[in-house]
Amino acid sequence: MAPKYPQILFQNRKPGRIATLEEYRQSGGYQALTAILEKYSDKDVQEEIAEARLLGRGGAAFPAGTKLMSVADDAPFPRYIVCNADEMEPGTFKDRVLIHTDPHMIIEGIIIAGYAVMAEKGIIFIRPEYESGARIFDREIEIARKAGYLGKNILGSNYSLDIVVHRSAGRYICGEVTAQLNALMGKRPNPMQPPPYPTERGLWGLPTVLSNVETFACIPHIIKNGSEWFKGLAKTETGAGTKIFCVSGKVKRPGCFELPIGTRLSEIIEEHAGGMIGGSEFKACLPGGASTPFLPPKYYDIEMDFDTLRNAGSRLGTGAIMVFDHKTCLVAATLNLTEFFVRESCGWCTPCREGLPYIRDLLWRIENGEGKEEFLPMLDRMRRHLWRAYCAFAPGAVSPLEGLLSHFEDELREHISQGKCPFKSI
Amino acid sequence: MPKLVIDDREIDVAARTKVIEAAAQLGIWIPRFCYHPALGSVGACRVCAVKFIQGPVKGVQMSCMIDAQDNMVVSTTDEEAVDFRRHVIEWLMLNHPHDCPVCDEGGHCLLQDMTVAGGHGLRRYLGKKRTYTDQYLGPLLQHEMNRCIHCYRCSRFYQEFSGFRDLGVMRSANQTYFGRYENGVLESPFSGNLSDICPTGVYTDKPSRFFGRRWDYQRCPSICINCSLGCHTVASIKYREVKRQEARFSEAVNGYFICDRGRYGFFYAGLEERSRQAMVDGKEVPFDQAVKVLKEKIEEIGRGQGSEAIACVGSARNSIETQAMLQHVCQLKGWANPSYLMDRAITKKVKSAISRLEPELVVSLRQVEAADFIMVFGADPINEAPMLALAMRQARRDGAEIAVLDPRPISLPFRFTHLPVVLDDLSLYASALIKTAVGRDAVKELGQNATEFYDVIPDVAGNSYPVKEQISNLGEKLRSSQRPLIVCGTEIVRETTPQLAADLALFLRAAKGQAGLFYLMPGANAFGAGLFSRVEDSFEKTVEDIENGAVKALVLIENNPFWQFPNRLRLKQALDQLDLIVVFDYVNSVAAQKAHVFFPTTTLFESGGVFINQEGRAQAVPQALTGGIPIAQTGGGDHPPRVYGLGISGFEARTAWQILAELADLELHSEEKLRSKVWNWMIETIPGFAALPPIGELPDDGIRIELGAQPSARFSMEGITKGEDLAEKFELIPVEWTFGTEELSAHCECLRDLAGKPCIFMCRSDAEDLNLTDGDQLSIELDRGIIEAKLRAENDMASGTLVIPRHKDLDWQKMDNGRALVPKGRIKKIT
Repeated sequence: MAPKYPQILFQNRKPGRIATLEEYRQSGGYQALTAILEKYSDKDVQEEIAEARLLGRGGAAFPAGTKLMSVADDAPFPRYIVCNADEMEPGTFKDRVLIHTDPHMIIEGIIIAGYAVMAEKGIIFIRPEYESGARIFDREIEIARKAGYLGKNILGSNYSLDIVVHRSAGRYICGEVTAQLNALMGKRPNPMQPPPYPTERGLWGLPTVLSNVETFACIPHIIKNGSEWFKGLAKTETGAGTKIFCVSGKVKRPGCFELPIGTRLSEIIEEHAGGMIGGSEFKACLPGGASTPFLPPKYYDIEMDFDTLRNAGSRLGTGAIMVFDHKTCLVAATLNLTEFFVRESCGWCTPCREGLPYIRDLLWRIENGEGKEEFLPMLDRMRRHLWRAYCAFAPGAVSPLEGLLSHFEDELREHISQGKCPFKSI
Repeated sequence: MPKLVIDDREIDVAARTKVIEAAAQLGIWIPRFCYHPALGSVGACRVCAVKFIQGPVKGVQMSCMIDAQDNMVVSTTDEEAVDFRRHVIEWLMLNHPHDCPVCDEGGHCLLQDMTVAGGHGLRRYLGKKRTYTDQYLGPLLQHEMNRCIHCYRCSRFYQEFSGFRDLGVMRSANQTYFGRYENGVLESPFSGNLSDICPTGVYTDKPSRFFGRRWDYQRCPSICINCSLGCHTVASIKYREVKRQEARFSEAVNGYFICDRGRYGFFYAGLEERSRQAMVDGKEVPFDQAVKVLKEKIEEIGRGQGSEAIACVGSARNSIETQAMLQHVCQLKGWANPSYLMDRAITKKVKSAISRLEPELVVSLRQVEAADFIMVFGADPINEAPMLALAMRQARRDGAEIAVLDPRPISLPFRFTHLPVVLDDLSLYASALIKTAVGRDAVKELGQNATEFYDVIPDVAGNSYPVKEQISNLGEKLRSSQRPLIVCGTEIVRETTPQLAADLALFLRAAKGQAGLFYLMPGANAFGAGLFSRVEDSFEKTVEDIENGAVKALVLIENNPFWQFPNRLRLKQALDQLDLIVVFDYVNSVAAQKAHVFFPTTTLFESGGVFINQEGRAQAVPQALTGGIPIAQTGGGDHPPRVYGLGISGFEARTAWQILAELADLELHSEEKLRSKVWNWMIETIPGFAALPPIGELPDDGIRIELGAQPSARFSMEGITKGEDLAEKFELIPVEWTFGTEELSAHCECLRDLAGKPCIFMCRSDAEDLNLTDGDQLSIELDRGIIEAKLRAENDMASGTLVIPRHKDLDWQKMDNGRALVPKGRIKKIT
């Protein structure tokens, strides 16, 4: 069955193996790189990406063009470009699929973005569970190097860049930009509060641009087809490009789908993910990974774009849609997610390190029949105070709780009044 | 100057002041755990939250992370901020063991204060508490991790501020652990500061463990006399005993911290074996009787041999009052001029250092932190004056370059360049640096002498110095520095080196408008000793006078030559020739045991006193307690004491200057009157003291004694030639270690295990030439006997040099005065 929408990032997707360098070239790969080395200045590249309104695909949706432009003209050298492949947001697996689909698309994206800031060294920071992905990068980078796309004087130009693959020791917080930089420098992966921003003083005090795998993968296409084309890919006015949605949970065909930004949630679930599994009704979903608030059924038709979700009190995040049905206890789900965040806190600031375990304790009590009415205002107040933590980890960690409290308070109360979880038979 | 409003009060503060500091200037104390003025802001604990109502920042934010800016309106009492802070405290207390009744921090615990002040009175949390395993961290600190609130102060101090790596953060999330990678003695000689900066009881003072609450102690400001820096401390006294010392903030000297030698080096004051009774011929006698006996004996010797046959020796640990009284009494009684320092060379070096500390050059310990290039000659900061190493590290953290020219194996907690050169060449290299770092034009303003001196210095380029290239490099860096600082030791260096170090500083100042000079001196009051000493006086000369029969009676005032005199046999033989040995001291020394008449004196805790540190800063210490045998000792460890009587047992000790005054029949009046009398006499008589205020009026950071510029002392051309080639000989250099070589702190039980094992250092290549390997037991045959110790072969030290710590467990005093040269053939391996 032919895909309903144009496949850009997944153009060479095939079961069981990656696209080779040859296949990537045949689909137009490395044309963008050749073009920019011939006739684009670094500024041209920055402007094209900014014009395309490419927003960071790692979850924070920071404008990629703005990030590139924030490296000052007179900033010192060497400069670094870092590809964040530490995909640890629960429910998210798009980067893994991308790496296993078309690694050269990512490599080309890194080179072009590197050129835009005149970076000399590229680093792919990859989570340890993605060892097969790291090996793909190791191998394909060598192939790209032999083909003249990496190393000294790329394609005969004056621009030189090489990429190394750095395997993370594996913590969720390593996905946070400043924590990742600390990890790369061999320090504890504690976040660092800007300023200075990494593009000003990043790795070893030098300008460093860090972006997500999917963000880099978009870049060659923007250069090749232009920013207007890219914006036109989206279904919404404000959106731009396609987005890889990772659908999981109570649907018939979970998986990774490349769809235009702004595709409706209902369409994603019903058409692309095959609908809810038999006997299940849609109760809620996490629209963008574990650190986004639940979306209740009233948003079932929402257009999946950054702005629309923000207006609905949630976030597009990484685009990882976890679908829950009417038989699933959302208190238990929130408790489960909170357990994850309790474990993954870096331990730097008090609200995150101590506040999250407190929240977990209260949720555990509610779920296990020890809940009290007074826990609800406590939970609400604490989750608000967790926004005053050091970095964005804690606000993300309490997002499911926020959704639970605003849309499913009744379910919480039912746990408390029944003195047990109503979804459990005993 | 940003102007902002905090709690309805307006204040102007300096640019880049954090809001938490701005509030402090208004007297508003915003709660804090992770913030510490010396360690800076990191935003980890979140307890300093305040609400920003107007201005460039809005909402509840951390006051330690935000610079004060114009138009800010800040509320520390806003309900939202208060509620957040209350939550932070509640979170911090979730896992705290609530063991305040058995915690030594209880009573001066920041966490206790904040918990109460923050209004977290009732525990709501129903979950289990987290627990950790504690570690053994050595004899100084007790570890109790369950109390931890994760402010990261300890790891930040230990690793970032002081540069040691064996204690830090491990694990993550709410299992984050602060400690060592395994049980073991902390490597940092600054580790005691952890007990000061920890806001709760994770690190508590081990020697004073379970002895008292903060409010049980008499707490009194004091200073440390375990080296020449004069760092500020607080002494805590209970039951007539100093039990604990903490760092006391000093803007000019030590900042917030002190080293472990200083913190724990006070136990000599309360030792059980300390003699507290006057003694004549080894028998305890009443004090007045001892005075009477002594007077008679002195008179007798005076009648027979002349009063010149009575020689008095002070020391570098005497207070100024004692040093002055000694001088005064010797003059009154016509005794030989007193000496204070061990040998001629030291006297000369200290005196020349004093004369070269010109007001424009001298810097305080705190100012060391501001240098951008530090050049060290013949000083080993971590071993001789640990806090200097800490100050240098702060300069390094700000980007300063640091280079050390010293023959010893130098280790410092930061990156630096070490040129291990022999002592003979230090002065030469100092002069070579003048030539490379300063252009001839800049020299002219220093006068004709300077130009002549400059022209005599050999060019580095045309010479065959072994470290020629490095010297040129350092010279270049020195040339481009803005705020250079010259540090120079006075213990092991040649007599010319302090002079050339000062000349280098002068030249740099002429070239840049700014340069600093910082000396280390051999003792807490070596500066005073140097001022009172005539250049020809030293204990070495006294020994000669005993040997030639000119001196028949020796009075040692808080001086134990057995500790430091390099030739023990000669010392013993000399003392055997005397008719009378008198010792005044507060430690039970070898000399005290040899005394015919012994007087117990008071420690600085019992009498107070004025000490002048190595930069000439006269600092006064108040009396902290009335002397006497500690109650734990009189009571045999029971409480209350089982010995009853009037007065305080062991109270007989008097200050050394009081006893001297009695010997001289000075009118005693009251102690205070006598003290100001000798003080005024000193100000009037001894050059250099004229600027001092009346006693009792010295400010907390003291007053710097300034002798003014002394142009005649400058630019001596001595020493700027290459040292002689020792060929087949080694120079043996006795040196100081952080622990185990300084006389007073060596009495402290808790520091005993921290001293390294006795050993002799030799350059690895030299060892290989002699077919020796690291760890061999060596025998070194000197003219006065054999020294035996284990060999430690080091890569990073000067060839042709043997370094031997003056370790109390090492019988090293077998050398003649001056240089000890050892022919290669006299170094043997013991098999």
